Amino acid sequence: MTEQFPPANLAFLAAAFAVTWIVFFVYAFFVSRRRQELEQEVRDLQRAADREDGPGQAEVG
Amino acid sequence: MASTEDVRTATPSGSGRKAYVTGGLIGVAALLMLADLYLIFLVAPTDAVLGQVQRIFYFHVPMAILSFLSFFIVFVASIGYLIRRSRKLDSLAHAAAEVGVVFVTLALITGVIWARPVWGVWWTWEPRLTTTLILWLIYVAYLMVRSYAPNRARGAVYAAVVGIIGFVDVPIVYYSVQWWRSIHPSAVVGPLAESGSLHPTMQAVLLFSFLTFLALFVYLLVERMALRNTEDAVRELRFRRFDAPNSQD
Repeated sequence: MTEQFPPANLAFLAAAFAVTWIVFFVYAFFVSRRRQELEQEVRDLQRAADREDGPGQAEVG
Repeated sequence: MASTEDVRTATPSGSGRKAYVTGGLIGVAALLMLADLYLIFLVAPTDAVLGQVQRIFYFHVPMAILSFLSFFIVFVASIGYLIRRSRKLDSLAHAAAEVGVVFVTLALITGVIWARPVWGVWWTWEPRLTTTLILWLIYVAYLMVRSYAPNRARGAVYAAVVGIIGFVDVPIVYYSVQWWRSIHPSAVVGPLAESGSLHPTMQAVLLFSFLTFLALFVYLLVERMALRNTEDAVRELRFRRFDAPNSQD
């Protein structure tokens, strides 16, 4: 068997690309999910404020 | 405190337009990434000395450059914040710092993975690595200052100071390979780059890779700023609902 030169080191290459993508996906997922949760909270708070203000009050949004 | 306009833009109706923008950005970034992977693995030539593992370079270098760009944004926005006390500038600085920490973390990790087969060690205290680790620590500290400050306004001011002073490390990281004896490869972009040091195809793929990561960077920055605006809107609505009536007494 002949040894390849330079060595392929494909495991290191795969690890670098995998780590990069996992970190980006996880970060984007958490930012996006947190934003959706907060937008829902904004909706709920606005609805509650509208109910308390009663009809004829100006809405926020 | 968030104005009515700020609250409106953070609400679902106000964020509808932003959803199109962020959706478009992530779509563009995904398409560019597919093309980038094709170029990295099938078009870029294999390095004669380092072999296949050299292809990490097409991820590592753009992420390192974009972390510098992030911290430059933090630097400029922090100066602007201290002068004008604009909430938008504070929001931009905060978002850029967080995205910059993600990019510099990945630049460090991919660098460590590259170092093991090439240098035979995962980590060595050589100038480029050490100054980059210091850069990472500075901006992690920046985010911690925001989190642990007694209130948001003070946290924004303290963070702005850290963001301005911390930027001093960016040129030190870049010039470290020239100023001190370093085993890190010399710069391939910027003022220290020598013309012809990189194969023209490698140069073209690196440029494409940079544009790809730039699209991803812009997407993450816009998304993180939108999250920060929504956080402010929630805080404002909670204040109006629960605290404002009591504070009138």
